Amino acid sequence: MKPWLRLIRAEVRKLTSTRIVWGFLLVLVGISALTGIAVVWGTDMDGSKAFVSTEADQRSLMAFAANALMGAGLFGAIAVAREYGHGTVVPTFLAAPRRHRAVLAQYAAVFLGGGALGLVGAGLTVTAVAVTLPTTEYGFMVSISGVVTILVAAAIAGGAGAVLGAGIGALVRNTGGAVTGAVLALIIAPPLIVQLASGAASWVPQTLANVLSGVAQDVSRPAAAAALVLWAGVPALVGIVAVQRRDVV
Amino acid sequence: MTMTDTQRRPVSRTAAGPGLTIQIEHVTKRYGRNTVLHDLSFSVEPGRVTGFLGPNGSGKSTTMKILLDLAAADQGRATIGGRRYRDLADPARTVGVVLEPNAFHPARSARKHLEILTDTAGLPATRVREVLEMVGLASAADRRVGAFSLGMKQRLSLAGALLGDPPVLVLDEPGNGLDPQGIRALRDLLRRRADAGHTVFLSSHLLSEIEHLADEVVVLNEGRPVTSGPLLDLQAAATRVRCADPNVLADALRTAGALVERSGADALIVRGVAMDVVGEIALAEGVPLHELAADTSSLEELFLGWTGQGSPMRADVKTEEVAS
Repeated sequence: MKPWLRLIRAEVRKLTSTRIVWGFLLVLVGISALTGIAVVWGTDMDGSKAFVSTEADQRSLMAFAANALMGAGLFGAIAVAREYGHGTVVPTFLAAPRRHRAVLAQYAAVFLGGGALGLVGAGLTVTAVAVTLPTTEYGFMVSISGVVTILVAAAIAGGAGAVLGAGIGALVRNTGGAVTGAVLALIIAPPLIVQLASGAASWVPQTLANVLSGVAQDVSRPAAAAALVLWAGVPALVGIVAVQRRDVV
Repeated sequence: MTMTDTQRRPVSRTAAGPGLTIQIEHVTKRYGRNTVLHDLSFSVEPGRVTGFLGPNGSGKSTTMKILLDLAAADQGRATIGGRRYRDLADPARTVGVVLEPNAFHPARSARKHLEILTDTAGLPATRVREVLEMVGLASAADRRVGAFSLGMKQRLSLAGALLGDPPVLVLDEPGNGLDPQGIRALRDLLRRRADAGHTVFLSSHLLSEIEHLADEVVVLNEGRPVTSGPLLDLQAAATRVRCADPNVLADALRTAGALVERSGADALIVRGVAMDVVGEIALAEGVPLHELAADTSSLEELFLGWTGQGSPMRADVKTEEVAS
């Protein structure tokens, strides 16, 4: 096996050998359950079920990419920052003293993990909506291709969010600080940016995730994907540079 | 704790290669305005157990981290077999390291922790079982590390260091938390490794552990080199002399550059000149000798002298001048 593949496999094993993935899966089950509950018991202001009455409404309800982006951001931040907290990054850097390779392997592993979480989250949400819609007067209206778009968008957004969080984790090296940083970058900063420059609204992560899911058309999908890569890539790059330049312990 | 590595199978080569020389050359390290290492130079040779001594905060761990490329030196360089750590072709098969006693995720089992290390380093998975048996953790292999005692964590750290069957061991306080049997087993393991030509470099604040194990010592104090050399030579670096006229002999010895202190009515403790020189000076001064012998000090006495009350000097032991 090639060294870089070994490194990625080791990083994936790190993720799957603790409860972090199970914790996030539990959150996804909770979110999809809430979605199902909303379909069964939720109503619009006028007491109707208008929020599931059209294909666009149902697609919007199931579009999980923005959630995946934020959830996976926290996942990536925790996954990488805890390596520093527990000191387990030290044996990694001893085995791979060219540290950027180890950090890239971490990014690859959290990209896979975040993508998987996004995919599972979207799948659970679609399933919850499909299972609970028969309790209403509306049927499942989203086409197969629409569902596939939702799933793929959630996977991409989850992967990008995880890498963004991982970059912050590598930079901050403290789990609490990394979580705060991820919340700032994905939840608090975007609305502030839009307040300062309204034209930026189309380029904040949540909008880009919705474009990928097909529930917003602010920019083209390739442009949205490229912009998401940029959102994730900048902190990831800064994280690599910081890890290269700083003492490990 | 068994630590029996004599029956282990080789990794990808038939036998561990000979040890490599560790060289620390004029290393200086600063954290902000605080200089924690001052122009530090020494070497660690294969086939010997070299103890690295110094009070807390003297720079031992920082030196090891610089050697392992976990921290960058501001000046100087540290090499293993002439190469920086990052330039080693196969670090995990070259250097085994124990640094942090708690560098584990508490939710992982010992086995999983080592499996991840073998993946990272490209080592065969079969080594996991072998090293677990070697350090006496086979029966606890599937327990969460968070439930381990400090001694068990230390054994697991050592298991990680031995995974690649490396010819060089760099161990920071490896005896911490070990019970007496564990310390004895560790000592035997390191002795066997050194006797097989491997390089063993360990720091410890347990002076009795070093005294029982080390062939050589390097001593730091406040980031500065204090002394280094064979432990037996350092321990015997003073001469006890009893004579008929200690005052005359003391004056003559001081004139020759020796450090002399009185020990009782007719005895002197002499440092800084070899024993035969003491005898020759006594003969030249016409002072009859009643006793001329090496004054062996315990490592603790020496350590306190080196780090608290200056360093004993002797011409035939490599002793660094403390930079002012």
